[in-house]
Amino acid sequence: MRGARRRLAPYVFVLPFVVVFLVFSVYPLIFTARLSFTNWRGTGAAEWVGWDNYTYLLTNPAFWNSLGNSGVLWLLIVPVQIALGVLVAVLLNSATLRLRGLYRVAFIVPFVTPLVAVAQIWVVLFDQGYGAVNALLGVFGLPDVGWLTTSTWAKPTLALLFLWKTTGFIVIILLSGLQSINGSLYEAAELDGASKPRQLVSITVPLLRRTIMFAVVLQTLAVFQMFAEPFVVTQGGPYNSTTTAGYYLYNHITRADLGTGAANSFLLVILVMALSLFFVRLLRAKD
Amino acid sequence: MYRHHLRRRPARLTVAAAVVVVGLGLAACGPETTTSDETSHILQAPGADQPEGEITIWDRSGDLFEVFEGVIDDFNATYPGITVNHIAVDIDAKLHNTLITGTDVPDGVFLDDAKIGGFADYLWDLSEVLAPYTADIAPQKLDVNTVDGGIFGVPFDLDPGLLFYNAAALDAAGVDATSIETYDDLLDAARAYKAAVPGSGPIHLEQSAFLGQLQLEMYASQLGTSIADAHGELRLESPEFERILTFLDTVREEELGTRAEYLTPTDLAELENGNQVFYPWAIWFSFAPQQLLTEAAGDWRAMELPAWDAGGPRSGAMGGSSFVLPREGENADLAWLFYEFLMFDEAGYTAVWGPNDVYPTGLNTSIPSYQPAADPGTPLFDPVDALGGQDLWVVATEAGAQIPGGAPTPSWWAGAVDYLGNDIQRMLDGDLTPAEVLSQATQSIQTNLVDRQ
Amino acid sequence: MTDITTPSRRIGSHVFLMVLLVAFLAPVVWALLSALKPANDIIRAPLTFDPSTVTLDNYIAMFRDVPIGQGFVNTGIVLVAKGAITMFFAPLAAFAFAKYRFVGKNVIFGAVLVTLMLPTIVLIIPLLLQMKEFGWVNTYQALILPGSVDAFAIFWMRQVISAVPDELLDAARVDGSGEFGIFWRVVVPVIRPGLAGLAVLTTMNIYNDFVWPVVVASSDRMATLQVMLSTLAQNITGNRIGADYATVTGELLAASSVALIPLLVLFILLQRHFINGILAGSVKG
Repeated sequence: MRGARRRLAPYVFVLPFVVVFLVFSVYPLIFTARLSFTNWRGTGAAEWVGWDNYTYLLTNPAFWNSLGNSGVLWLLIVPVQIALGVLVAVLLNSATLRLRGLYRVAFIVPFVTPLVAVAQIWVVLFDQGYGAVNALLGVFGLPDVGWLTTSTWAKPTLALLFLWKTTGFIVIILLSGLQSINGSLYEAAELDGASKPRQLVSITVPLLRRTIMFAVVLQTLAVFQMFAEPFVVTQGGPYNSTTTAGYYLYNHITRADLGTGAANSFLLVILVMALSLFFVRLLRAKD
Repeated sequence: MYRHHLRRRPARLTVAAAVVVVGLGLAACGPETTTSDETSHILQAPGADQPEGEITIWDRSGDLFEVFEGVIDDFNATYPGITVNHIAVDIDAKLHNTLITGTDVPDGVFLDDAKIGGFADYLWDLSEVLAPYTADIAPQKLDVNTVDGGIFGVPFDLDPGLLFYNAAALDAAGVDATSIETYDDLLDAARAYKAAVPGSGPIHLEQSAFLGQLQLEMYASQLGTSIADAHGELRLESPEFERILTFLDTVREEELGTRAEYLTPTDLAELENGNQVFYPWAIWFSFAPQQLLTEAAGDWRAMELPAWDAGGPRSGAMGGSSFVLPREGENADLAWLFYEFLMFDEAGYTAVWGPNDVYPTGLNTSIPSYQPAADPGTPLFDPVDALGGQDLWVVATEAGAQIPGGAPTPSWWAGAVDYLGNDIQRMLDGDLTPAEVLSQATQSIQTNLVDRQ
Repeated sequence: MTDITTPSRRIGSHVFLMVLLVAFLAPVVWALLSALKPANDIIRAPLTFDPSTVTLDNYIAMFRDVPIGQGFVNTGIVLVAKGAITMFFAPLAAFAFAKYRFVGKNVIFGAVLVTLMLPTIVLIIPLLLQMKEFGWVNTYQALILPGSVDAFAIFWMRQVISAVPDELLDAARVDGSGEFGIFWRVVVPVIRPGLAGLAVLTTMNIYNDFVWPVVVASSDRMATLQVMLSTLAQNITGNRIGADYATVTGELLAASSVALIPLLVLFILLQRHFINGILAGSVKG
């Protein structure tokens, strides 16, 4: 009797998740799969169009542009964030650092602010004509920058928003990894006369590798799913330079081109899963 | 102590992916692949003398919302049995989803003309109820509301393009704006002004892709054309569009323009300091001298647009809105009565455009599209102090009467901003020639919008 | 533990951290202060703050134009219901994944990972049509149920619960405790720090959720705080016709401040639990 209950228990425990998963993930996914082979526009009859939506997307420069934009954003965000995150986490991990609590709180404040509110603030701060950022540059005699109006600067401006918003969280994650590193390793290195930067490169980073990879996977998912930031800040512009993979998909929906939107969804899901697998493999290869 | 879950992730991922694939094989859910409906979608007016019920009306938040709110009392004086539930909604974000789901659908919605075509499948065809009025409605407004022979919106405002100019600054520079009759004259006047005021950029060049495309349509409307004809066929590659873009490109090339987004602080600063003195725009620009400009407020005036050819039409339509009635709205027929009162009843349109609580001198950012209401001889709104006491009503109604018809709006108009709107901006950056804009935009719109309908 | 030994290095660290601190706090401080300035000054003098001109005009205009009280009520209801579901069922499922061997475990955990990787935007349209089938559009259940029992919460709690020694569970079994009793009376008390972290994280996620509510709550009476914020923003970023930039900017900053103050206060009160909670639950090297 006890044994049977024990065998049954885990199924009961995971059941709520499974129900939510089946109803709100699997069912819509299947629906999306079927939709992706039609030209349905939200009303009236749907016509079966075979692979047409997929070939349209895969031969469309705009689709590749959206992936390219997400790729560039990834390059602007993830390496910077990881480097900055490791550096800050190492400094914060020092027991003798003063104001440690203050720093920890300050760095995570952006993470708890509502994204939509912050994105609005970004729009106002980075306005070319009356934004505080250009006003600040003016104080130092620097020229105005078209942060949100030029295709050169729009991506870095979005990347800054993302970095500002999430770096604190990454610092905390890395900090948790650091805390499990055995302090005696550093003492040994100290005795060998290794400098601090040297210790960072040869002890901290290798031992932190798994945590770093976790952060990379997490942020890769987030960057390729990025939608609300361009939606609020740039609406994908200027010249589609901030039309991310997620925002491009949304464009089909606003044009009621639901079939193409569904096909785009699937391509995006495949890409995101492939990227995750890639990073996980990378991690395993180094083990 | 800690398990290294990451190491084991790939195997699990593969399994999960397999689950999804199996699920797809079993797919039974999806969109209905056959539902053809033969039912009529032509709205009929209610039969009862004193109809009763509640209607839900969506409007954009802002000044117009307040104006319409004020008209409800007048409406109820005529139709006491109809309760109007009037709400401010972010229509662009909400309407599409609401129509797809058919839940809590409003009875009437305020909508940009450029967006109506895209929603026609969900809307009542109003051609029967509008029949008594169509002969008196501005042809341009009927064009933008017509899809495949049906009329899908109650035309609201007419927005004639006008040439706004800073009379004081131009006078000081010795340039006589009132003698401008053609766009060539405008270029000459701009050159003269620039010679007098070095460093100025006399003519506004719009930097927003959406509004730039809207302004292009104003110029095109003046020439009796638009992006696509009534059958949805593109007609961008035409002498008319080439001519318009060449004009804009000349302004850019000779540095006769100020490039800014409509009424952003940057734009306003250039309007205030006399660098930007010509603003070819729809009548709704009159909002700027009245509400936004401080130093240059009384200096601005409005006149008809220049003509493309001497003696040609002196205005084109730019923007505008109409009221649409979703089929799934419960009391669309009662909502029709509301809009009929608002637009075609003297008490209604007088309450909208005449002096009211929101605008003590009347709503002067548009004129009625119903021609009996837009009579130059019987003004609804007062002369505008911020335009030096100019009688804007006369200027606008006379301009409005000249707007040619034959310029329908395709259902994908808003989507074209990604191509045409952006390419115009690239031209103003100096990266594309007018001919390149037209051929590139034509190709992209054909592939991404027309062919995917 | 690395110690920062030399004085020059210590000063260098502080300069670096202080610069970051200013960069991280400046936008929030700027927004909170600017919302108190006359609307025109926000635009004309973005860098100055004159205490003698402090005004509540932006807040007054915003409260007049936006039913933000209703937004708080809606967000509150969703927060409590969805939060409770996730806070209870996610650790429960995580417990099963961490401490039981059962047939199909890997497949179901794979489902957790798949959910983690699914972009919200991908499922928007089918989910919306599904809500239509259920008759759930513009209802609280549509805001609450999809995305409840959050996958990241399961994933993370599984880490936390894995660290609970098996001996504790076995001891409870010997004492005659049922399986749920073990979870409730043994596991939950032990993982309390992790749960505190999860609570803050879940609160934030639900409070900040934007894409799904914008789509499924089309009526104003159902709009959450974030939806209202984006509606207000349309006046700046969307259709500009007739919008007065300075006024709308002022209202927007006031609304943004109102939206971020509750979370900020909550976080500052609970920051120790939150940070320690995340530290307890993260991946170890």
